[in-house]
Amino acid sequence: MALVIQPYRVEHEAAVAEFNRRLQSASSDPSFVFSQSSVPRWLPPGNDNTVWNEFYVAVDGSSPESAVRGVYALKQEALFVRGKGVQRIACYHHPLSEGIVDRSFTSVGMLLARDALARQPFLYALGMGGAETPIAKMLKALGFTLTPIPFHFRVVHPVKFLREMQALREKRWRALLMDIAAASGTGWLAIKALQAMKSSATGIANTASEEIGEFSAWADELWNAAKETVNAATVRDARTLKLLYPENYSSPIASTRRLRISRNGSAIGWAIIGVRRKDAKFGTMRVGSIVDCWAMPNDANALIGAATRALEKDGVDLIVSNQSHHSWCSALEKNGFLKGPTNFVLATSKKLTELLQPFEENRALLHFTRADGDGLPVNF
Amino acid sequence: MASDIFGVPAAKLTGESSPETVESWDSVQHLNLVLAIEEKFGLQLDPEEIEQMKTLGATATLIDSKLQPSS
Repeated sequence: MALVIQPYRVEHEAAVAEFNRRLQSASSDPSFVFSQSSVPRWLPPGNDNTVWNEFYVAVDGSSPESAVRGVYALKQEALFVRGKGVQRIACYHHPLSEGIVDRSFTSVGMLLARDALARQPFLYALGMGGAETPIAKMLKALGFTLTPIPFHFRVVHPVKFLREMQALREKRWRALLMDIAAASGTGWLAIKALQAMKSSATGIANTASEEIGEFSAWADELWNAAKETVNAATVRDARTLKLLYPENYSSPIASTRRLRISRNGSAIGWAIIGVRRKDAKFGTMRVGSIVDCWAMPNDANALIGAATRALEKDGVDLIVSNQSHHSWCSALEKNGFLKGPTNFVLATSKKLTELLQPFEENRALLHFTRADGDGLPVNF
Repeated sequence: MASDIFGVPAAKLTGESSPETVESWDSVQHLNLVLAIEEKFGLQLDPEEIEQMKTLGATATLIDSKLQPSS
């Protein structure tokens, strides 16, 4: 085997299709599939884009058909670091190795990761399903620092939550208790009371929320005003936001909306909200998500409040959010969100972690959300 | 080294041991093996050399060849 890891070009498309077929036929995991097109559908490179995706393939020169044995993607973007300016970084995402289904290719996974790191030493990965998954363990072995991103949730319809939250109903006795709580009304009372007890949001007076088609200059003003309140955040100026949330982008699986929140006519922040794709752990519940947000810290309460009301109007049963910055975590809690266990993890390479030093002190001032990472609307 | 990394008694490992015969030899442990070799022997393994590490025997041969002084 003589693997050459190189940019994914149109001449590799047939081999990638075959790679996908081999992975799919040997595994029951529907996520083991890479882009059939060598050109990213979302965030393609070019046209002076500030953020774009690049695809890479590991081609096996020893196979007669130049088989592809591994793939990965890099989302190239800019990171603002307080006191240090803007640094180009990349997110390592969607790595897939034939080693997942054929152990004779066990070395491919680490070769992909090392290749990505060589191309961009300021590298991160996000999500990964938790710190104990193979990808997270591999990155940790490569010297990455793993940081869990807090998860918060707010139950809108308690009875449905009790009956449908499959992640909590795995044990029979627990499922029975939840059914009893749902049928008797005690569950409804307990959840509503708990969320009400936690609510203490202020600063929401005189605010208005509107759905907008696209971001413009007002978003630049907000970016510039609030960026000094974080230790680091991927750039969220108007130009980048237009790329991340293009007006006509649609997905058959999930939806996103842009909210602009104003006070006395002036924009104080924005939020990206949406309804998540169907997920077995949530049963038949419609799950809304506060995907991303931006505002000065003392406007976070108002922003979360507005986003929550918009999602409740959409008729969702549950609202979730992953936010790393303590101001947003606090705002979620003040709006009655409860903290839950998280499997959403940030992994930062050695060089990137050094850039963010002192890391332990700065951890709660990093602004990473579900919009970071592969950030695909389908994946939040 | 392999015994520690894979959690398998050394007596059960041979030159023919590979990811196909050692259940715990997955991609993460393969990386750990590479990193351990690089650290212990002061080597830097390139992708082609890492691909050659298909068995413990092949890995030992690789290490030997890298440690031989070049003529």
